Amino acid sequence: MSAFQDARSFPKDTVLSPDLAIIGGGPAGISLALALADSGQSILLLESGGVTFDAQAQKLYEGKETGVAYTAMDGGRLRYLGGSTNHWGGWCRPLDPIDFEDRDAVPYSGWPFPRSEIEPYFARAQALVEAGPWVYDKAGEAASDSGPLLGLAPGGVYTSWFQFSKTKDGVLPTHFGDRYQNDLKRAAKIMPLLNANLTGIRLSKDGRQMDHLDVATLAGNRLVVKPRFTVLAAGAIENARLLLASNDVTAAGVGNGNDLVGRFFADHPIPRDVATLVLFDGRMPPFYTNFLTLPNGAVLRAALSPRAEFLRQKNVVGSLTTIENETKLDAFATAAVETTAEALRVDASKAKAFSLGCGMELAPDPDRRITLSDKRDALGMPQAVLNMTISDDDFLHFRQTLSELGRQLLAARSGMIHLSYSQRHEWLSAMDWGNHHLGTTRMSTDPRKGVVDADSRVHGIANLYVAGSSVFPTYGSSNPTMNLVALTLRLADHLRKALA
Amino acid sequence: MRRRGLLTGMIAVAALAAGAAWKFRLFAKHYPPTPYDDLLSQITDREPAIMFGSAARKSLPSAARLAAELRRDGRILSARAEIEPKENRVTEVAGWIVPQSVALYAALAAQI
Repeated sequence: MSAFQDARSFPKDTVLSPDLAIIGGGPAGISLALALADSGQSILLLESGGVTFDAQAQKLYEGKETGVAYTAMDGGRLRYLGGSTNHWGGWCRPLDPIDFEDRDAVPYSGWPFPRSEIEPYFARAQALVEAGPWVYDKAGEAASDSGPLLGLAPGGVYTSWFQFSKTKDGVLPTHFGDRYQNDLKRAAKIMPLLNANLTGIRLSKDGRQMDHLDVATLAGNRLVVKPRFTVLAAGAIENARLLLASNDVTAAGVGNGNDLVGRFFADHPIPRDVATLVLFDGRMPPFYTNFLTLPNGAVLRAALSPRAEFLRQKNVVGSLTTIENETKLDAFATAAVETTAEALRVDASKAKAFSLGCGMELAPDPDRRITLSDKRDALGMPQAVLNMTISDDDFLHFRQTLSELGRQLLAARSGMIHLSYSQRHEWLSAMDWGNHHLGTTRMSTDPRKGVVDADSRVHGIANLYVAGSSVFPTYGSSNPTMNLVALTLRLADHLRKALA
Repeated sequence: MRRRGLLTGMIAVAALAAGAAWKFRLFAKHYPPTPYDDLLSQITDREPAIMFGSAARKSLPSAARLAAELRRDGRILSARAEIEPKENRVTEVAGWIVPQSVALYAALAAQI
């Protein structure tokens, strides 16, 4: 068993030469290290923080936000072992096949491969996030004992399912640092190095190879790491920041020859109370508002999702709508319900109303981006600046999906819907964010369109890779953790061959 | 025997009165006659329709034009309301997604 090492205890100018260096001990970094533990190659897992929260390490995340109001740069992520899984909600759902498609109506959309490319890794990813047996969209049948699905006529929206990481019996979602600490220690060829901050990615003079990594601690130690291969797995904001700040050989930063590093940042907007759903008979199946635990241990919750055909037909991007709390109707709303129910010849005397929440997908936007500030952190690294954007079309797209849901409820004579917001300022005043950082080192086979290639390798640099949701070129509306772990396991298979 | 007969008679009178009240809508709110009663009579409870229609009327034509449009269709409200969502003919009134005819009838009710 190799205990964790602390970079602060290393002598000055120590040089480490592992086969593989992984930058970041979050879900991607830990999954990658564990997947390659039996490869026979030495792996150095560099984690900026310790095993628990440390305010000084967290402060290294400080930065600036411009544009649309967004979570503070040090507020939506955590800088210690386990990364942002230390505060995640455990929501899991695979990306949909359409999320991978190049759609004419969605500029910059499309992955270099279809979903089938990562499907073989879903089962292992599901096991790593501890979300139970793979059920998802087969859950309707399994849940039928608990009640029928929401009455929706045929159309663009259907009942889809989330699964949850370890929320059964009140146990919190899997925190990768806590959960896999012992596995990391047990792996003879993995050296987890704590309090070790990457401060520079140094390229060979011709810029085609990653030569070495500069590492520093807040205590003042400086180390040099000379790995054969390096994988950045520090999250979408930090990956971009590190690449941009490493500008000694290529002035624009590493991998930024086409001015793409940091662009196309995305998150999932989760505006509150986006709509009110009324069921005429008042009977909401319980698994839409609460967890449902199946006998096989899977913890599920139903949501409402647009079908791929609807997205293509209407030229909109994805969303997931959740049914939240029962709510009261005012006099006007009651009049709307009574008038409509009477016209439909249905009894609405027991009608109940429920507020709706959501996770919206954003269309890719090159101006939603990470750049560097003149201000520096305690290690001398330039801080990150995020320019956050959200377009009127993003709101309009989601509104179209909600309208379709309303149409299907009416067509089934089961209920109706009220849309809360129509003006931009209304959406923004209700805005919250998933803190799912995506897209800043997007994947494309074409170096003019992406920072990394289909193997997650930085274009033009032989031995530098990026893992995590920062490579997602189109985002989908599913929560990213399980998907990024699956993608990382695919990268592990590639690296296993490259390292051999 | 007389007492039982009296009781039966009272129940019968009460039942007849209730039936008449229902049949002739004695306790329902009555509205002055309008040129559109053939349409408005399809709305059993006009009060909520008037309230809801007050929001719909802002973006819809006058009562006469609305009525003409509704009569042209020929079908009754319930038949239209049931089929319209299936034919993608829904509209938004103050954020509510409703069958188009519901908005039209409610707007008509609110304009009288």
